Amino acid sequence: MTLDEVELDAPFRITGFVSMDASERGRLSGLGIRPGAVITKLIPTPLQDPVECLVGPQLLALERRLLARIEVEAA
Amino acid sequence: MKRVIALAGRPNTGKTTLFNALTGMRQKVANFAGCTVEKAVGAVEVSGEDVEIVDLPGTHSLLPETEDEKVAFRFLSECAEEGADLQVLCVGEASNLLNCLALTAALKAAGYPVALVINMIDEARLNGVVVHAGALSEALGVPVVEVSARHREGLEGVLELMRPHPLRPDLSGALDFRTATHSRLRDLQEEAIESAEKAAAAGVTLPARARLPTIARSIRIDRVLLHPVAGPIILAVTMFLLFQALFSWAKPVMDLLSAGLAALSEGLRARLPEGMISSLLCDGAIPGISAVVVFVPQIAILFTLIGALEHSGYLPRAGAMVDRALRPFGLDGKVFIPFLSSFACAIPGVMAARTIASEKRRLVAILLTPLMTCSARLPVYALIITAFVPASYAPWGLNGRGVVMAFMYVFGVAVALLLAMALKWTSLYEAHPSPVTVLPPYRVPRAKELARYVWARCWHFVGRAGQVIFLVSIALWAMAMFPRNAALVGPLETQVAAVQAAPASAGRDARVQELKRRVAAARIEGSLLGMTGRAVEPVFRPLGWDWRVSVAVMSSLAAREVFVGTLGTIYAMGREAGSSEGLIRALREAKKPDGSPRYTIATAAGLLIFFALALQCVSTVAIVRRETGGWKWPAIQFSAYFVLAYALSLVAVHLFA
Repeated sequence: MTLDEVELDAPFRITGFVSMDASERGRLSGLGIRPGAVITKLIPTPLQDPVECLVGPQLLALERRLLARIEVEAA
Repeated sequence: MKRVIALAGRPNTGKTTLFNALTGMRQKVANFAGCTVEKAVGAVEVSGEDVEIVDLPGTHSLLPETEDEKVAFRFLSECAEEGADLQVLCVGEASNLLNCLALTAALKAAGYPVALVINMIDEARLNGVVVHAGALSEALGVPVVEVSARHREGLEGVLELMRPHPLRPDLSGALDFRTATHSRLRDLQEEAIESAEKAAAAGVTLPARARLPTIARSIRIDRVLLHPVAGPIILAVTMFLLFQALFSWAKPVMDLLSAGLAALSEGLRARLPEGMISSLLCDGAIPGISAVVVFVPQIAILFTLIGALEHSGYLPRAGAMVDRALRPFGLDGKVFIPFLSSFACAIPGVMAARTIASEKRRLVAILLTPLMTCSARLPVYALIITAFVPASYAPWGLNGRGVVMAFMYVFGVAVALLLAMALKWTSLYEAHPSPVTVLPPYRVPRAKELARYVWARCWHFVGRAGQVIFLVSIALWAMAMFPRNAALVGPLETQVAAVQAAPASAGRDARVQELKRRVAAARIEGSLLGMTGRAVEPVFRPLGWDWRVSVAVMSSLAAREVFVGTLGTIYAMGREAGSSEGLIRALREAKKPDGSPRYTIATAAGLLIFFALALQCVSTVAIVRRETGGWKWPAIQFSAYFVLAYALSLVAVHLFA
């Protein structure tokens, strides 16, 4: 499943990415979004995009188009 | 050779706070070579020697996306190429070390002399995060110090790292990031992340609880500030207060400064003998100084509020909230504050674009912000609308003049958004820089940091843009003063002398004032400005402008509102309060030699459109030059807006003719 499909406030583990080139994966990796990291969708912003997420010990706002490309499993 | 210390690291790790703590007031801001990215350089004395410190732009990975990120790596490569006595201090956030260690490991692996500065150690203690500096140092193979730059804790350890070494590091084998292939950088980063994970496992103990207290508190605050209903209301109130502050709080101080300098000018005029020196000081230099310092209150207030919002952590959230709505126009949430600030004045608006990290997006914001209806346009709009929109005009039962004024506001925003969309097809467009925005934990802004932030921006405005604004003001004064056309001015001056010499009588003073106004009008008519106005009259004739309007428009380059004063002088209405009614009447009643009205509703529509679009403000041009690091962009911006303003004015003139 991908991150856009999961419920809010539950932790998930990143398992991979959908249709993403190596450069983009590398950049996300620098931000802490990499396989093995635990991610929790928390609060959608008022226009529902982006969504505030907890990734490790940091808060990130992730656009919805990105959520649909992050594969996760229950942590 | 001077030792160079580069502060590198992710954004929001407190690099700038550390930079300020180390350098104090010994710092200056320039641009990195070949681009507009700001380069903060400071100096600190260590062991009797000056050490240069450079605060590099924040970077998340070795695969830079924006120009700012690229600049950081380019700077390191240039240092290596020049064989500089370089030391890179990687600044990491103690409570988020895992994500900060990768850069340290990568730079070490790339052959650079690196040390790790673990900042915000006080916050880590509150969070229950325990850092084992020795274990980290061993795992990464670099020196490690713990600091709290905010509280100046541990700075002596940093100074020790910066101490000049008798043997300079050998950088001949250091990786050149400018030429390294993407795959090489990717491999380097992956290896660095592995090393970072191992180092963090050995050197950082996280608390048992799931969420760090600072993060848990931020999430609680975000549940209110990002709430679907409360969030937009709070954002709207915050922006309203910011807007109000720029208009209302700054105005009394601006008025006070203007009045003070005007009083100084009048005081000098009364004491000095009438002549060139008096005019240079009272009509050129003091108004020139006034044109610079009058903006300082707005800039100070704007950056106090932006700084507070930025340092508190709210600014990236506010940007995230409006981001979605601006995306179709190729913009992102970060243009919101520059745009909003520009409704007060384009100067703080252009400067507010500094909060945009991506160079291209910052440039787009700088290019578009002057289209917002600034307060200097209001006197111009008010004059034209009152003179030419009939009081009886009431569309949908509304006050017609108010509707036209509101339309001018909407028009500016609409053109800016349409141009933003058009820029999507140019090289200035940069796809949404990252689908990820880092939301730092909420922190209470510190007064000292805020004061430094505001001071730096005010000082840069006065020191850099101020010089150009002042010089152009003097140049415009000179153009309005020279040459003295004796044939036009002489007879009037003789009349003034004759009336003054006559015995005192009722109405003599009024007659003298009237004649002096006519002298001023004649001086402008015969001056270089007047001659230029006549020379360019054919260019603007299709817009219905005569030389008088052309001169007023040219003089308004000093500041848009000068248009009203200059037109008043030309029509010998004087500049005193209450003169606008006379000017309005004069404009309405002005006739061509054939008896037809000199100005019509079509002329007025064209003028409104022209002032809405043309970059008719030298202060804005000067600040754009300052912010973009050269004349290229202000020249393009000025020319493009002039052409657009002329073309759309022409359309308006034909529509209303």
